[in-house]
Amino acid sequence: MRKHPVVQLLLIGAIGTAIGLPIALAIPWFPAQAATQAHRIDTLYHVLLIVSVPIFVGVLSVVLYSVWKFRMKPGEEGKDGPPIHGNTRLEVVWTAAPAILIVALCTYAYTVLHANEVTKPGERTVNVIGEQFAWYFTYPSSPGKSVVTQQLYLPKGQPVVFKIHSRDVIHEFFVPAFRLQLAAVPGITTTLRATPDRLGVYSVVCNQLCGNGHATMRATVHVLTPAAFQAWLAKQPVQPSPGYSFSSTGGGAPAPAPAPAPSGKAGNGSATAAAGKAIFTGSGGCGACHTLADAGTTGAVGPNLGIRLVPDAKKRGLPLAAFINESITKPNAFIAPGYPAGVMPQTFGQTLTATQIQSLVAYLASVTK
Amino acid sequence: MLIKLRAPGWYRAALFDVIGFAFAFGLVVLIRTLMHEHPVLDGYAITTVALIAVPLFFLVGLGVADYWFYWAAGKRTRPEDHSAHGARTWRDYFRVNTDHKVIGIQYVVTSFFFLLIGGLLAMLMRAELAQPGMQFVTPEQYNGLFSVHASLLIFLFVIPVFAGLANFVLPLMIGAPDMAFPRLNALSFWLLPIAGLMMLASFLAPGGSFASGWTAYAPLSTSLPLGQTFFTLAVQFAGASSIATALNFLVTIITMRAPGMSFFRMPLLVWANFSTSLLVVIATPFIAASQFFVLLDRALGFQFFNAFVGAGKNGNVIMYQHVFWFYSHPAVYIMMLPGFGIISEVLAVKARKPIFGYRMMAFSLLAIVVLGFTVWAHHMFVSGMAPWIRIPMMVTTAIIAIPTGIKVFSWLATLWRGVLRLDTPMLFALGFLTMFTLGGISGVMLAMIPFDIHVSATYFIVAHIHYVLFGGSLFTIFAGVYYWFPKMTGRMFDDRLGKLHFWLTFIFFNITFGPMHLIGIQGMPRRVADYAQQFATWNLIISLASFGLGLSTLVFLYNMVASWRGGPRAAANPWRALTLEWQVSSPPPIFNFDAVPTVVGGPYEYGVPGAVHGIFKSPAEARPTGTIATSPTPE
Amino acid sequence: MEASAISHAEHHGPPPAHRSSRVEAPLLGMLLFIISEVMIFGAFFTAYFFIRVVNHNPWPAPGTTLPEAVAGVNTAILLSSSLTLHWSLVSVKSGNRFGLKAGIASTFLLGLTFLFVQINEYVHIGFAPYQSAQASIFYGLTGLHGAHVFIGLCLLLMVTIRAFRGHYSPESHRGMEVPGIYWHFVDIMWVVVYTTVYVL
Repeated sequence: MRKHPVVQLLLIGAIGTAIGLPIALAIPWFPAQAATQAHRIDTLYHVLLIVSVPIFVGVLSVVLYSVWKFRMKPGEEGKDGPPIHGNTRLEVVWTAAPAILIVALCTYAYTVLHANEVTKPGERTVNVIGEQFAWYFTYPSSPGKSVVTQQLYLPKGQPVVFKIHSRDVIHEFFVPAFRLQLAAVPGITTTLRATPDRLGVYSVVCNQLCGNGHATMRATVHVLTPAAFQAWLAKQPVQPSPGYSFSSTGGGAPAPAPAPAPSGKAGNGSATAAAGKAIFTGSGGCGACHTLADAGTTGAVGPNLGIRLVPDAKKRGLPLAAFINESITKPNAFIAPGYPAGVMPQTFGQTLTATQIQSLVAYLASVTK
Repeated sequence: MLIKLRAPGWYRAALFDVIGFAFAFGLVVLIRTLMHEHPVLDGYAITTVALIAVPLFFLVGLGVADYWFYWAAGKRTRPEDHSAHGARTWRDYFRVNTDHKVIGIQYVVTSFFFLLIGGLLAMLMRAELAQPGMQFVTPEQYNGLFSVHASLLIFLFVIPVFAGLANFVLPLMIGAPDMAFPRLNALSFWLLPIAGLMMLASFLAPGGSFASGWTAYAPLSTSLPLGQTFFTLAVQFAGASSIATALNFLVTIITMRAPGMSFFRMPLLVWANFSTSLLVVIATPFIAASQFFVLLDRALGFQFFNAFVGAGKNGNVIMYQHVFWFYSHPAVYIMMLPGFGIISEVLAVKARKPIFGYRMMAFSLLAIVVLGFTVWAHHMFVSGMAPWIRIPMMVTTAIIAIPTGIKVFSWLATLWRGVLRLDTPMLFALGFLTMFTLGGISGVMLAMIPFDIHVSATYFIVAHIHYVLFGGSLFTIFAGVYYWFPKMTGRMFDDRLGKLHFWLTFIFFNITFGPMHLIGIQGMPRRVADYAQQFATWNLIISLASFGLGLSTLVFLYNMVASWRGGPRAAANPWRALTLEWQVSSPPPIFNFDAVPTVVGGPYEYGVPGAVHGIFKSPAEARPTGTIATSPTPE
Repeated sequence: MEASAISHAEHHGPPPAHRSSRVEAPLLGMLLFIISEVMIFGAFFTAYFFIRVVNHNPWPAPGTTLPEAVAGVNTAILLSSSLTLHWSLVSVKSGNRFGLKAGIASTFLLGLTFLFVQINEYVHIGFAPYQSAQASIFYGLTGLHGAHVFIGLCLLLMVTIRAFRGHYSPESHRGMEVPGIYWHFVDIMWVVVYTTVYVL
């Protein structure tokens, strides 16, 4: 029964670890694992837990044991502890042991990092473009031409390299299911590698504060079988690749400035509207924030254009087309009731060409009547 | 009335505010007229200039610079009549005062005022986050809430409250009659409320308060409405205050120690503030510069952060983060090292044992200072910077855990076989030990790049920072405030309420911030007003607990106010401590000491029979103060 | 014991502090302040490094030139002000009041000339800070230095006024030595700025 305090303490620490460690490991920490990178990161975290729990339990044990054993008892008001000033051997141990542990952990972390980021054969390049407050993804097909979408589609098992860009402020491309994120930085291209290995639909999140619509800057990633992916890709319209900058001078961007939309012939309303639809879902990025049944978009930052445009145009007292035009170029001129001002970027008047805006107006007017 | 307007004080300060605004208005109109800018009246420009000019005019009006003007003009400077020394009534706390004890209390009370406001903003955020979807605030208001919350608590609470506590006790501890530059000390203090009120005033700006987080990453911060300018300038005032205080501490510690007080006889709080001040003096100019860049981009159209000027002319966005974090990572230690000092004082006294491994404790502080400058880019693992920089930053970040570990282990060894007084300061010290260890461990996890790539900017980070800044820094602040409360006010606090405060804080703190680790790893981003349904349950629990945490502060407030007004009188040395500040009356006499004491031993010789740290030279007090130290106190 | 402690309150004036270092407080304070100032220049040079080196931007920006010669003359003006300042300090130490006054006044005037030339350079340089990132950091660095010259001039003005009002003596001249250190720092900083911005 009368054991040495250090033995008692070690016993308490061991019991605490034996209880704490299984609990820490049993907690369902992570969301679904959908990339090979995720497996390695989850294992790393569990190793870190196995190292950390005994350390924390140890500190806690010393504190609780001291409180239990060494607290001042009645009659000890004038008593002092023994004047122990230090113990060189102990101090060397608790300097060296963490140092060894840290070297080991850093080495392990480095190998994980290397395995996750190494170039793999057969990588497919997907461009990720962030802008306030939408993501879109382009799949290069031929020089200057791409498939542009607002939802990310990836084939299972094929390594993919994301080339990430931003058109305005810093965004962060974050796929929790892949355990990966990287900033979209204006002016530079950042590179992120992932190998999806689980079918399903996962979320893409902007993880860098980018303005008022930051919380809703979301998209989804669909991991498909390679065959399904090819079928999906083949169905998508090919468009001119969008630019990576919103600059009016444009010269600094790594890719050409926003190209004009496929030109609608004068008087050919349906072709113009079709071009407008492509802009709506593609390079314009409208669908990220606006729901529109015809375009199949479900954004919820701004009003549902399918049902709100006509009544709001009446409130504003403008013809529908004029109202749509004003709302694109001067979004704050009329704010739909229940929505905050200043969320919609006010730069579309400069970033979209006049033809593009015409197409958008024609399209929106045609689908909201 | 005219005399009141001429003499330093609030009337003249108010007058000078008006003059300052008129000056700003006139300057902008004049320059815009000369430069043919239209319109000549520009609200943004006038506000920006006024935000610089009005505070400076206010300071002059209040009287912080009167003496300097006399000196500069070569007039005969009035002999120091010590009228600006010491506080006789509560009104003296609202005047320019050069007494380090008055300034210390001004600092502490002001920063606690901002703690309450910052906490209140957190409550509003948690109310919004209690359910998914938007209930109480708009997204831009929410962005403003967390930005002001973090900025106030970092720049107006944690950093200055440590400066305040040290201002009060540090000169006493080293046997100095005051700080080295008392008038600069007063200026440092008065810069603070200016910075805080400026941040709060941003809520009134058109477009709402600044909403780019406390990190204010460019180019978001260069494109936001006027409120952002308030942050940019408020940080300048807070930073100037920080630098001036740090410089003052360094000079005081180096040149004004009592005879016999060698560096290795200094209490660890002095060591901690020495290290912190080094960090402040070296690092703080970087955040000043980062905000200068943003200000120049915003106000004068500079292109530091515009990546789209044109080929060969582009600014660099990532540069902001390097400059910002070169300050803001050391700032983490600026917000922690003084707390380490407080814990060393409290643990040694309350465990009645010498600090275990005193020299290693001092050296590990210096090691943290040096290493603190080599780890800034670990905040940028996913920022898109050159990937190779991540590897050395991971290693240095992990290495910094070694000196920190030495400190934790030494504190534990100090507890071992002591005689532990489990009163309020000690409970907060022990709470700090456990919670800070947790925060430190998650810090080492975050150093591991692959894991950081997943949890960067998620709620895991929110959990980590609150475990080190709330469970770490704030617990040490509470420990320090309770520990020195008798010395500062001359009254004892209510220990039972103090213990209640500790337990409420400790429990609600863990329920609030513990689950954030989990939802962070599951992928909930920080700085969002709305979130996915899957996080709803945890967020509701967190919000409810955070309200409990907010309410627990009321217990603290009541205890402090009631005890200050009517608590039992405190003895000179209620804790039987050896350090010098406890060897004078509570509160200390106006000039601290009749004669400067002589230091004859280490500061923590508890358990050594007859040990004395300092003796008073003057004949009346030439007997060892150890007799005070061992006599039982009336309480 | 408490009673004796309270009796401190009747004391008039603080006891003199013990001098625990041979360095004087104002001198040490100024040196630490200069460390802070060096760091703020360091931050601006970081910006310069990122814009010029990391971004591979041509220097100066395409279509602009920097007036190295004018700035070179200005450098000479500023450096000579350090010499006159030193002359002034040597004079006060040897009790030469004329040298003190003439030295400090000419230092002040040389500093003022530097600032005027600098502003004149801005007016005629032919590009504005918003035209390129290089222009921004050019104005940023030279402007930051200009602001320091202005602060230094304010300090020098105080010293000049005090010198002409009969202050300073061979025994007591800290009040001009400490601002003088700051002025030398401003000069040295200009050499660094001139070298990196104009010459390299």
